[in-house]
Amino acid sequence: MDDENLTRDETGSSLCLLLAQADKVYDMNLMVVKKILHANCIPVIVTVNKPYRILVKMYAKEGIDQDSYYVIDAVTKYSGGECVPGPHVRYVNMPSNLTDLGIAVTELLRLVPEGKKCIMFDSVSMLLIHSPTVTTSKFLHFLVNKLSLADVSGIFLCVEKGLDPVIIAQMSAFVDHIVDGDKADTILCHL
Amino acid sequence: MQTKSGLISGNLEEDNIFRNVFEKIQTAILIIDPLEHIIVDANPLAEFLIGRSRDELIGSPCHEFVCPAKCGECPITDFHKDVRNIERAIINAKGENVPILKTVAKVQIQGKEYLIESFIDIIDRKRSEERKVALLAYLSEALLRVKKPLELMQQDLLQLAGQAKSGDYDTEDIRMQLQINANNLIQIVNNLEVLQKKALEGKESEIPPAFREFIIGK
Repeated sequence: MDDENLTRDETGSSLCLLLAQADKVYDMNLMVVKKILHANCIPVIVTVNKPYRILVKMYAKEGIDQDSYYVIDAVTKYSGGECVPGPHVRYVNMPSNLTDLGIAVTELLRLVPEGKKCIMFDSVSMLLIHSPTVTTSKFLHFLVNKLSLADVSGIFLCVEKGLDPVIIAQMSAFVDHIVDGDKADTILCHL
Repeated sequence: MQTKSGLISGNLEEDNIFRNVFEKIQTAILIIDPLEHIIVDANPLAEFLIGRSRDELIGSPCHEFVCPAKCGECPITDFHKDVRNIERAIINAKGENVPILKTVAKVQIQGKEYLIESFIDIIDRKRSEERKVALLAYLSEALLRVKKPLELMQQDLLQLAGQAKSGDYDTEDIRMQLQINANNLIQIVNNLEVLQKKALEGKESEIPPAFREFIIGK
């Protein structure tokens, strides 16, 4: 694979919905973060599943330095855990608080140093536990617009067949690519 | 011969047979003069569905009740369209749209051409279609908001078992993740209850139009 292709297109950023089987979403998370880093992008991970402290340990095991990425954590408070402040993390009280999630994205993107940035949203499917499909779809649309305006790339992880065809159709209108998990390597070219 | 009492052939026996059929058939029928676009006869079921008496209907322009087309834009006489088993709506006396399935046929009666508009009320079918959409929307939403997240939670718990065994994660790490999964399960149960309530209440209006069209396949 030619990592030189891991550059943005002329418009500056790229948005991608990445579909994976349920048992591959975890691997996909690790793979995507590594690819983002390999492309000299700064990963900003929005997690509605794993708390920050777990992500830190998971990534450390894969050799990913804690200072190389930023996290918006919507589940530590939700789990009753301690929200240890840090320059690379922002906490949101619960995954259903989409307003705060949107604000946290804006704030954290301002904090991230200049350079190529890429948001990875893990995952749209878990967000659906907390918000109806219609609300989730509107939030994703809002987020995608925000990223486009900020010239930031975005990868949205989702379980295969975890979105109804109407949402897929809506998403396809506002993301640049919808990629199946088995072709995930191609996201390199879309970042 | 056309009179205020409808069309008659002059042959009493024939008239009786066809009048009986006309009045007893469980299909609404309007007979229309295609030149004037006025109703020249209506059977009892047409009276019932439109909510106006035969006397009120006879002599009235057809577009007032059964066709939204303006004068000069009649789909049959002006645009020569074939209207057969087409879903349309009539406007009843209360001003309500009643969904119907209609067919228009041209006939010659006593050397003069007429249009026979026959239609059946499909409001029950429409309601049943709406219920079907509501039910499928419920099932789809349940699949997205329950089954897929459960699949992810299953993977998460398997991973958690591995973490507990590895010794790389402390008690708080494990507790937090178990708590997240427990909270998610509570939320999923709540989602199911809300979805069930909506399905039982038949809140079809809350289904996005795009999803409705997708389900109905139109």
